[in-house]
Amino acid sequence: MLVRYLRLLWIQLRASALLAAQYRSDFFIDGVIAIFWATTALIPLLVVFRDRQHLAGWTFGEALLVSGWFVLLNGVLDGAINPGLQAVVDHIRKGTLDFILLKPADAQFLVSVSRFEVWRVTTLALAGGILGYAFHQIGHGPSFFGLASAALLLAAATVLLYSLWILTVSAAFYVVKVDNLTYLFSSIFDAARWPSSVFRGALRFVFTFVVPLALMTTYPAEALLGKLEGTTLVYSVLGAAAFAFFARRVWLRSIGRYTSASS
Amino acid sequence: MISVKGLKKHYRVSKRPPGLKAALTALFRRSYTEVKAVDGITFDIAPGERVGFLGPNGAGKTTTLKVLAGLLHPSSGEVQVDGHVPKRREDAFLKKIMLVMGQKQQLLWDLPPSETFELNRAIYEVPRAQFKETISELTKLLELAELLGKPTRQLSLGERMKCELAAALVHRPKVLFLDEPTIGLDVSMQTVMRDFIRRYNERYGATLILTSHYMDDVAALCPRVVVIDKGQLSYDGGLDDLVRRVRPEKRVVFHLSKAVDRADLEPLGQVVSLAPAKAVLQVAQDRVAATVSRALSSLPVKDLTVENPPLEEVMSELFARSRAAREEGQADGESEEGGGEGDWE
Repeated sequence: MLVRYLRLLWIQLRASALLAAQYRSDFFIDGVIAIFWATTALIPLLVVFRDRQHLAGWTFGEALLVSGWFVLLNGVLDGAINPGLQAVVDHIRKGTLDFILLKPADAQFLVSVSRFEVWRVTTLALAGGILGYAFHQIGHGPSFFGLASAALLLAAATVLLYSLWILTVSAAFYVVKVDNLTYLFSSIFDAARWPSSVFRGALRFVFTFVVPLALMTTYPAEALLGKLEGTTLVYSVLGAAAFAFFARRVWLRSIGRYTSASS
Repeated sequence: MISVKGLKKHYRVSKRPPGLKAALTALFRRSYTEVKAVDGITFDIAPGERVGFLGPNGAGKTTTLKVLAGLLHPSSGEVQVDGHVPKRREDAFLKKIMLVMGQKQQLLWDLPPSETFELNRAIYEVPRAQFKETISELTKLLELAELLGKPTRQLSLGERMKCELAAALVHRPKVLFLDEPTIGLDVSMQTVMRDFIRRYNERYGATLILTSHYMDDVAALCPRVVVIDKGQLSYDGGLDDLVRRVRPEKRVVFHLSKAVDRADLEPLGQVVSLAPAKAVLQVAQDRVAATVSRALSSLPVKDLTVENPPLEEVMSELFARSRAAREEGQADGESEEGGGEGDWE
């Protein structure tokens, strides 16, 4: 079962790589775009730190870790999550989701892996550069445990982002045109570039529990700095799993509605 | 193989009234109408049979096909396909069927068709050896050799449809659902597709259901037709019988050595068309022999043929008749088409 799905994932990745190789100019365009976005992601940080040493308890190097992680997640989002799920929206609009539903394999899996933007690895490389520079600023590298926790949180954050997207896309079964929802999602995600302690009151609550942005960038940065508590790590992983479970239920319900009610 | 008992599929669609004021009211208070896309259909199909679904647009053909494929849940009634209940969409069932829709495509747009074949091989878990055999057979029969390596977007519609068909056959399905597979194709490509579909059916004993607007498709492929009209089954049987029932007359085509007057023809039968060198008459079946012998003695006939009326005409007459019958039976003036926004064909 698992082997079969891994093989399907491999074939889809291969197809995306073939496609990427066909459009080599995309490599340069994506590279330029990646540099542009990474820079714009850093500018607010540079502005804020121009005349102060700390921001809500974070030094420049530490806050840069958060921003680097934000760029990293953006790369994952644009390279692996967005393209496949944008494909679902297209399928629903064109009525070709029928072909997916007739395949003897899980439909959510098939659509999720249907497209990858391979050239987005440039964004990941850039994020690596930013993180490296941040550690240079801080003056020491992360511990092994810190790295391992950060890797675990990266997986949790990816699952979380993916689940949020599945929820957004599920809405497409009801309203067909979800462009606005995806814009809303990206603008909320944008807040993840700041350490979560920057936000106060209601916003902080929302960004920790409703749309857990803290988990996506602040906690991994804290983990790398060796400041994250073990319980927070456990809760984050459990929270991501719960989110994934909920998104799966909603997806199944939406598919059920698609086949039972629509034409 | 396929058994359908009392199948109904009803939709609730919101009425969308014309005009801004009504549209604004509808934002808050929607009124719904029930659309009976399929309204009590019963039929059985034996293994290896080729059956054509005929009916005007919106008759319920595609809805029935989608219910059989498991894409739509029936509102009521029983449906079985090779021992499976389609709506459960079990893997074992999905591996037995295929669906080709002439208007929609599953091929990966920017990659060559061979990539889609490979993907389907993995999804359907087709053994490598069988896959190779199937592909080489399909390549030969459909003449795909030159197409397999080109990106799909560079193929013509006809080439794409051939690859589309091949992609849907990678797992050697036992049941073929073909929804307008030849739409938009030129005549020679239609013939290629038809010949291929028949060959596949004969070779693998596959059962096939076809919907098409091209009567030639149905005439060439399907010994049995099911006519669906307004969600109800109005005929189920041989195509020849259907033609005889709707149009018991035959057409006699005369090729003439010189022009004749319409008045000379009228005593023989109903004149369908008259050109200087050709005349077409419509006569009752039992009078064909008499008409032919009278014409041979009284007209300058070079050659003649006796034909069935064109299927297109037969069908439009059939649909016109059932429409008239319905309108008669419907005392209240409620239009059953009005207002719905659903596309339920």
